[in-house]
Amino acid sequence: MARKRGRGMAAGWYGIARTAAVDRAGAWVEIDDGGTVKVVTGVTEIGEGILTVLAQIAAEEIGVRPQDVTLGDNDTARAPEAAHAGATRQTYMVGNTVALAARDARDRLVEAIAEQWQVAPERIVTADGMVSVEGESRSMTMGEAVHLCKTHGVVPLGAASFGTDTTGLDPIDGSGRPWQAYVFGCQVAEVEVDTVTGEVRVLGIWAAHDVGRAINPQGVEGQIEGAVAQALGQALMEDYVQVEGRTTTPGFARYILPTSVDMPMVNVEIVEVPDPIGPLGVKGIGEPAMVATVPAVMNAIYDAVGVRITSLPASPEKILALLGAKDETSRVAPVGV
Amino acid sequence: MPDLQITATVNGREVTRAVKPWHRLLDFLREDLGLTGTKEGCGAGECGTCSVFVDGVLIKSCLMPVAKAQGTRIDTVEALGRRQFTAVQKAFKKAGASQCGFCIPGMVMAATAALRDSPRADREEIRERLGGNICRCTGYQKIVDAIELARDVLLGLKPESVFDEETTADGHYTGRNVGRIDAPSKVTGALKYAGDMVMPGMLHAQVLRSPHAHARILSIDTSAAKAMPGVEAVVTCDDVPGVDNYGVFVSDQPVLARGKVRFVGDAVAAVAAVDLVTARRALAAIRVDYEPLPAVFSAEEARRPGAPVVHDYAPNNVTKHIPVRVGDVEKGFAESDLIVERVYETQPVEHAYLEPEAGLAYVDPDDVVTIWSPSQNITHHRHMLARILARPINKVRMIMSPVGGGFGGKEDMIYQGILALLAIETKQPVRLVFTREESMAVSAKRHPSRTRLKMGVTRDGLIRAVEYEMVCDGGAYGLSTEGVMRKAAILGAGPYRVPNLKLDTWGIYTNNTPSGAFRSFGGLQAQFATESHLDVVAEMLGLDPFEIRRINAMRVGTATHTKQELKSASLLEVLEAAAKASGWDTGAPTSRGAVRGDLFGPGNRVPLAPGSRVDLRMPAEAGEVK
Ligand code: FES
Ligand code: FES
Repeated sequence: MARKRGRGMAAGWYGIARTAAVDRAGAWVEIDDGGTVKVVTGVTEIGEGILTVLAQIAAEEIGVRPQDVTLGDNDTARAPEAAHAGATRQTYMVGNTVALAARDARDRLVEAIAEQWQVAPERIVTADGMVSVEGESRSMTMGEAVHLCKTHGVVPLGAASFGTDTTGLDPIDGSGRPWQAYVFGCQVAEVEVDTVTGEVRVLGIWAAHDVGRAINPQGVEGQIEGAVAQALGQALMEDYVQVEGRTTTPGFARYILPTSVDMPMVNVEIVEVPDPIGPLGVKGIGEPAMVATVPAVMNAIYDAVGVRITSLPASPEKILALLGAKDETSRVAPVGV
Repeated sequence: MPDLQITATVNGREVTRAVKPWHRLLDFLREDLGLTGTKEGCGAGECGTCSVFVDGVLIKSCLMPVAKAQGTRIDTVEALGRRQFTAVQKAFKKAGASQCGFCIPGMVMAATAALRDSPRADREEIRERLGGNICRCTGYQKIVDAIELARDVLLGLKPESVFDEETTADGHYTGRNVGRIDAPSKVTGALKYAGDMVMPGMLHAQVLRSPHAHARILSIDTSAAKAMPGVEAVVTCDDVPGVDNYGVFVSDQPVLARGKVRFVGDAVAAVAAVDLVTARRALAAIRVDYEPLPAVFSAEEARRPGAPVVHDYAPNNVTKHIPVRVGDVEKGFAESDLIVERVYETQPVEHAYLEPEAGLAYVDPDDVVTIWSPSQNITHHRHMLARILARPINKVRMIMSPVGGGFGGKEDMIYQGILALLAIETKQPVRLVFTREESMAVSAKRHPSRTRLKMGVTRDGLIRAVEYEMVCDGGAYGLSTEGVMRKAAILGAGPYRVPNLKLDTWGIYTNNTPSGAFRSFGGLQAQFATESHLDVVAEMLGLDPFEIRRINAMRVGTATHTKQELKSASLLEVLEAAAKASGWDTGAPTSRGAVRGDLFGPGNRVPLAPGSRVDLRMPAEAGEVK
């Protein structure tokens, strides 16, 4: 049979937010006219969906809908520091910060309304744009509540920052607390190897990842699917080649990227083990999602045809060369010798 | 060359423009008509971000000379869903098919064409029809899901209501698939990336780059370029007002080469001119005298005594070394029943975000140098720029434009300083947009690595000792190498209990394209070695690969390799989830593919086809899969 199938697995771990340095982020929140909400933090979308995640968090914390939330803006002269868009830190650092700032703003509003209604602040419920008293029929819209605050001279504002309790590494033995949240993942790959052409097709990936808490499960899936695609590129085809410092893969005609036909179905299993430290229990997924894919595929290739790829990418040429070498060995030393 | 007079029907309206004869249809749309929903990801027909309809046929507008557009009917993404989103746009929104969004207008056009040409296309056919469109973010899965959803609604198999946002009335919005708030601006092409922005009086920048991997700069003569009509500024390192030495972890990089160049593509001088053509001509008029130096092209060579030195401050070419030590490896190996040693290598990889680097800079009326760019780290870039420009922090303003894919590649500051110098020099807005080739040649790559891994285990599979040395080619500048080495060092030995560990990671300078931050930041290279190795060891011990990992797994309370006690650890949970979801057939990794129960065994599911959707939890099968 020219095509052989196999399966392999691999696990992996990763740290959330800045490494071996104290990480921090800040945000301002205002519950605005009409019951809308402004969230100001120095971050923007790099495609992962952070703006939606922040809108969801602010909406739930304050008691409005995500579409009532306006986010802005990623500008060092106008917004508090949220630091960088990387290190799988956005949901953890900025998400937790926005939750805290939103709670702070809500507290301002609730205090004013509780006083107006002469009830304990804990009894005020805010959800979906309505403000009410637990167990009573009294209610008003969030817009009315903001208006009421303002007639009392209060602008319902909140601010917060969130930092990590981390340290650098000892220069001699590396000891230290580089992160406060760790995530773990495991992937299984199923491949088909063509022993005539050396080509590897990945048929399926099962990816189980702990994300703490998924704020937007569809977004988590998207991160894992995209990470798997990039990792498959590294596993099987991508190679930035330089000869004497000059690249021979200067554009997409020579530097081959995975396209839709190269992609297997990625089956995502979201595992939720909440972070015990941050207010939301969230962790992260952007980078850790691509750690296990490459070795899982290499282990699956070994399962299929018995060749161990130790040098990436697993190009058809390498597979064929190793298959050839293996045939040689088995001729020289038959099984059992 | 005189301008061409072009008349075409664009998005239903007839337009006539005098255009440059060398313009492509893409330039006509973006520059002459301001229709920036059509993107330029490669300019070479390879990526599909520039897809439009010409007389109803899907084409790549970067490949079509503008002259050919005469008299045609052109439809761009802006024509779709003007009043109401099309089914394809709604489906993209519903399925969460957009991430950075840069490929999305082209994808929407390609999807529209696919369903027009083949309304009943199945998943396989859809995937094939998208073959000319690259997406670097999504893995295509949700894009294909979206097209299937649109197809079913268009065929009347599903109601329009499947596009609606799930409604909830319990006040809970976390843990739910709330639709992406930026989806509408991405499926319509309305979102402006840095390269889509224009300002009145805006100039165009170009960068002169080194043809040498390592050379001394004897002289730079910019006088001819400066004298050219339309050239507003030519800058070199002599125009940097402040401390011209920066970097994320180590300060080793000038804004423009100072004294020498260290890789092919190193920035040497930059021009701002009234248009791109003038700027490019000016580059050709700059005279640079180089004296080539011996160069070094691999980390291995660079570590040898007497190798060419890339940076004077690091005579041994070491950018960073990170050690991790636990226990006593010699003792650990002595206690082991089996010791296995192997070498693992990874290649340099390009981020290939679809949006090439771009930025727009100006000095505002309050003398604040302002830079729009898809920078992943505006906070730190602001600090670095303030020092380079010798200005107070509040006189430098970084604005993060929408990022058309970053993956770490837009963390290192490789052009914002050049833009700032040109804006200060000209007092006019200046825009710089990289070509794909420029982006590939000068942006950082994933560190290529070579890891020697020696592991000692007991007969039962318990790890007793690991000796691990990883050497990475960091290329010509430090960029994020230090951080990458640190992360690789912390994570390299894997999420396993290793009582005796000697681990070292080394980042090395060479004259190759710099390596830098790339999604997983050393974690991928480091764990590729360990996770491959565990299977090698498991085979020798006759252990299932899940089992060997379970036996050694870190748990709550385990001290990590850096001696941090874990407050929470979920390795056992994810192992369990992956084994269950995949229906894993237990056994040692002895190349048993042909006899695996979960592939071909009796009572199992049909073999997978590429990209097919399988649900392993189908009741009949789930019972039988192990
Ligand atoms: S195919 Fe035209 S820009 Fe890439
Ligand atoms: S969403 Fe496709 S390239 Fe980013």
